[in-house]
Amino acid sequence: MSRFNDRVFGLVMLAVAVAYYYGATQFPVPFGGSEAVGPETFPKILGVVLAICSLYMIVKPDADNAWPAGRTFVELGIAIVALIVYALLLEPLGFIISTTLAIGTLCWRMGATPLKAYLTGLISGIVVFVLFTYGLELPLPLGLLELN
Amino acid sequence: METLHYLSLGFGVALQPENLMFALIGCFIGTLIGALPGLGPANGVAILIPLAFTLGLKPETALIMLTAVYAGAMYGGRISSILLNIPGDEPAMMTCLDGYPMARQGKAAEALAISAIASFMGSLIATVGLILLAPLLARFALTFGPAEYFALFVLAFATLGGITGKNPMKTLMAAAIGLIIATVGIDLSTGTQRYTFGVLELYEGVDFIIAIVGLFAVSELLFFIEEKAGAGREMIKVNPLKLKWREILSIFPTSIRGGVLGFIAGVLPGAGASLGSFITYTLEKKIVGKKGYFGEGDPRGVAAPESGNNGASSGALVPMLTLGVPGSGTTAVLLAMLVSLNITPGPLMFTQNADLVWGVIAALLVGNFMLLLLNIPLVGVFVKILSVPPMYLLPIVTMVAFVGIYSISHSTFDLYFMIAFGVGGYILRKLDIPLVPVILGLLLGPEMEKNLRHAMQISDGDWSILWSSPLSIGLWLVAIVGLLLPVIVGPILRRRMQAAKQHTE
Repeated sequence: MSRFNDRVFGLVMLAVAVAYYYGATQFPVPFGGSEAVGPETFPKILGVVLAICSLYMIVKPDADNAWPAGRTFVELGIAIVALIVYALLLEPLGFIISTTLAIGTLCWRMGATPLKAYLTGLISGIVVFVLFTYGLELPLPLGLLELN
Repeated sequence: METLHYLSLGFGVALQPENLMFALIGCFIGTLIGALPGLGPANGVAILIPLAFTLGLKPETALIMLTAVYAGAMYGGRISSILLNIPGDEPAMMTCLDGYPMARQGKAAEALAISAIASFMGSLIATVGLILLAPLLARFALTFGPAEYFALFVLAFATLGGITGKNPMKTLMAAAIGLIIATVGIDLSTGTQRYTFGVLELYEGVDFIIAIVGLFAVSELLFFIEEKAGAGREMIKVNPLKLKWREILSIFPTSIRGGVLGFIAGVLPGAGASLGSFITYTLEKKIVGKKGYFGEGDPRGVAAPESGNNGASSGALVPMLTLGVPGSGTTAVLLAMLVSLNITPGPLMFTQNADLVWGVIAALLVGNFMLLLLNIPLVGVFVKILSVPPMYLLPIVTMVAFVGIYSISHSTFDLYFMIAFGVGGYILRKLDIPLVPVILGLLLGPEMEKNLRHAMQISDGDWSILWSSPLSIGLWLVAIVGLLLPVIVGPILRRRMQAAKQHTE
């Protein structure tokens, strides 16, 4: 069984710990002179703790969990992209359209038939929109569907 | 006497029509959340926080609703354990052992009813325990100085992995990551900018609600996609209920034992609901001995873990309410709600926000009755919703999370942040690094630093103040034990829990 994950993550976190500690030493001295515990003390402690944990992970790594490979990896990528695009289009396209697209895509990629998937997106989008805008009086963006 | 006075005050709050209504809604949603595999209580409560916010609920109403969700989730967890043999949440694992065999023998309805009654008993006993213990502990906690608090926070982190936790170093690392994220932003006492890199959105720090929702909800979606579990599993049909009084009475002793033990496990740091249900199940098996047929559908095997985990979940509220230090993931999320409502958790809450604390406690009692009523006649409704496959459910839940976060600030920046936390959470879970300490770190970071500062100001920069009083030494010792114990006892306990589980499969 390989033990790469923990080692690599340990190395990354060790780098973070060093950078974080260095960052803490660069804080300007607060107005009124330094005290026993300044803004940098707590981060410095945390940097040391993180470094110790990272070293432990490098020296004594646990067995790896398998990373998704091939198609599953692509599916995960699609899901993340769908979420980012959802956030990106939420305001320009409006809530209902972007929800239909994003939730529909997610349902579809998780195994629903395309028609059912996008229908689920559309219906849930409309229900939540109506609920929020009229029921709770928290307007969500209407985007393209806005009249005028 | 004083407690009774406060309790009646609490009932005054809990029985207001608005609060009653939200408690009922909370109970319903909670049961649903608990029942759906892959939507644990912490996750569910996290998604609801932004909504409670945007609804502009009063603090006590919001907290009552979320506590009801929390209590409901513990009830709901059993439904999928019994019908699907998949625990809806981790503590419900032990319920699978006898619940699923019962369901397969055509006694699904009986198993559901018995477990609901046991849940009710467990919760009731533990809530009474909470009422008795919490004020005492709160009074005691008033003697804590900043040094003791600092030690207490360390203890909370050290024991959070729980006795069954795998690798305490990873728990510690997770806590460090959370605390580090919490230091981002403008330092409260000096105004120094820390790790903001000139990004305006980071000046106020990272909003922990965004982090929590991302870590839980989005990473859960990614896990489901990876496991290709979109279609769901086949469910056992529920038969019409035929339960005799004698059968109900026969589980009473089990439920009472379970509730008491569960409560103790819930209060103690590092034990939690999972261990609570495990201990009660094993103990019950020992007590009943050869007369029982545990693992093959013994009703007592359903009642014991259910009363245990419900007892533990109410017990876990004791340290959260009195000390401001949560012992589990869900109580951590409830604490997040308190902090974001500008209520400082801790012993002072019992005097300064008496109506809120006691309102919540009274609501727990009221909610428990609601849950019993919801869970016996209406169990069919939950079963229906449970049959909606995850491929529709999880995307919709994700959408609700999006809407919640978006409606707090109307900024899409927060959404990107949430997605980033989701991906981060996925990676951490892949590496077996627990997420709850990250969240607790995010939550407690500012308080922890503040207490460190106060302690150092009192001692004029002498670090030894942190371990100078007997109380703080005691807390440090417990923390060290909490870190070391999992290494020694953990493997044994885990093996036993696994063995018990495999026995039925």
